[in-house]
Amino acid sequence: MADAAALLLALQFADSAFPAGGFAFSWGLEGLVADGLVTDADDVADVVAQQLTLRWQSMDRVLLVRAHAANDAATQVAVDRLAEAVTFSAPMRAGSRRAGRALLGVCARLGLPAATAYQALAADDARLGHLAVVQGIVYRAAGMTCPMAELVSGWSLISGFSSAAVRLGVIGHVEALRITTALRAALADLLAAPARPAELPASFTPLADIAVMRNHRRDLRMFAT
Amino acid sequence: MSAVSTRPAARVGIGGPVGSGKTALVERLIPALMRRGVDLAVITNDLVTAEDAERVRRSGLIDPARVAAVEAGACPHTVIREDPTLNIEAAAALERQFPGVELILLESGGDNLASTFSRDLTDFWMFVIDVAGGDDIPRKRGPGVIRSDLLVVNKVDLAPYVGVDLPRMLAEARAVRGGRPVLTTNCRTGEGVDAIVQQLEREVLFRQ
Repeated sequence: MADAAALLLALQFADSAFPAGGFAFSWGLEGLVADGLVTDADDVADVVAQQLTLRWQSMDRVLLVRAHAANDAATQVAVDRLAEAVTFSAPMRAGSRRAGRALLGVCARLGLPAATAYQALAADDARLGHLAVVQGIVYRAAGMTCPMAELVSGWSLISGFSSAAVRLGVIGHVEALRITTALRAALADLLAAPARPAELPASFTPLADIAVMRNHRRDLRMFAT
Repeated sequence: MSAVSTRPAARVGIGGPVGSGKTALVERLIPALMRRGVDLAVITNDLVTAEDAERVRRSGLIDPARVAAVEAGACPHTVIREDPTLNIEAAAALERQFPGVELILLESGGDNLASTFSRDLTDFWMFVIDVAGGDDIPRKRGPGVIRSDLLVVNKVDLAPYVGVDLPRMLAEARAVRGGRPVLTTNCRTGEGVDAIVQQLEREVLFRQ
């Protein structure tokens, strides 16, 4: 077992109650529900599995690992520029930056010097602050190893989606538990193989991406994305 | 460098149940504060639409760019209390965009009596109830009624039509709040709004 201090650190940051604004993002799920493309627990499980394998694994995880390894501001900024470049829809970019900046803000208030330093950079450049990049920076600053940071990031995605699905009324709490249990195993499988930071980050989740773009213009919505 | 531009803006929360008149109060506070030369911005936490933000933006009372909307993900409590980070970031962004802003009004989404604002988010917060919601609201001692810095009882003109004994309701409100401020308004006419502004000037802007 990893030592208790490291596990507790991961639990704290992976907790859905960690105050970084994550509850306000559905990353396309709200739009998919509104368009009738997600109607039940199987649909939710499919969407989250796709997000995990076709987005998180191939894009967010790569960005996070690169940001975690970055030893200077210029490298951190370069990873952030890459995140901006590979996120093709504007509302998705805006959402990623809002979520990242919320995490950055609370970690700066917590007194993590790396968070304070990067927040100062982001204050002068509206295109900085993507979530996966900020996760890499602040998780490292908080003391997480890179594998633990990857685990926390992946789990946050799974728990965030299932929680949003409950609030959207598509699934109940027991179905949410079944989905997170199944995807916990899927995430463990992904984490069993090392990340591939040398690869170009890329995603292929077109339905969710389009849903985020459509949702942005919808009058009735509860989530930021 | 002016003193104003370096001082963070005061954050004032406005919470309360659905339909109690929070947006109407914001619409009254904006011109009243502006008349006193207060440099203002507004954040709304709409629940399912941007209706409140749009209503304030289109009111003609304030530069629409000074009105930000923060989504609550169906969690109106969370976004002002357990996890106010998105509101904190929105307020910081308004301060960066409008140097010299002195006061940011944060309007919560319509909620219930358990709604309270984080002290990390706001310097002062008021809770708005209305007489048509029932004169038993103060007696129910919800955290919003008890713990707010200022309790506002709105729609006082409706009291006779909904069978509310207003003096008794106010007496009970003051009793459950231990004598802390309770003010009455009729936001349709603007009655009582000046007293709130004076309270903000004294308690938040330190002008008196």
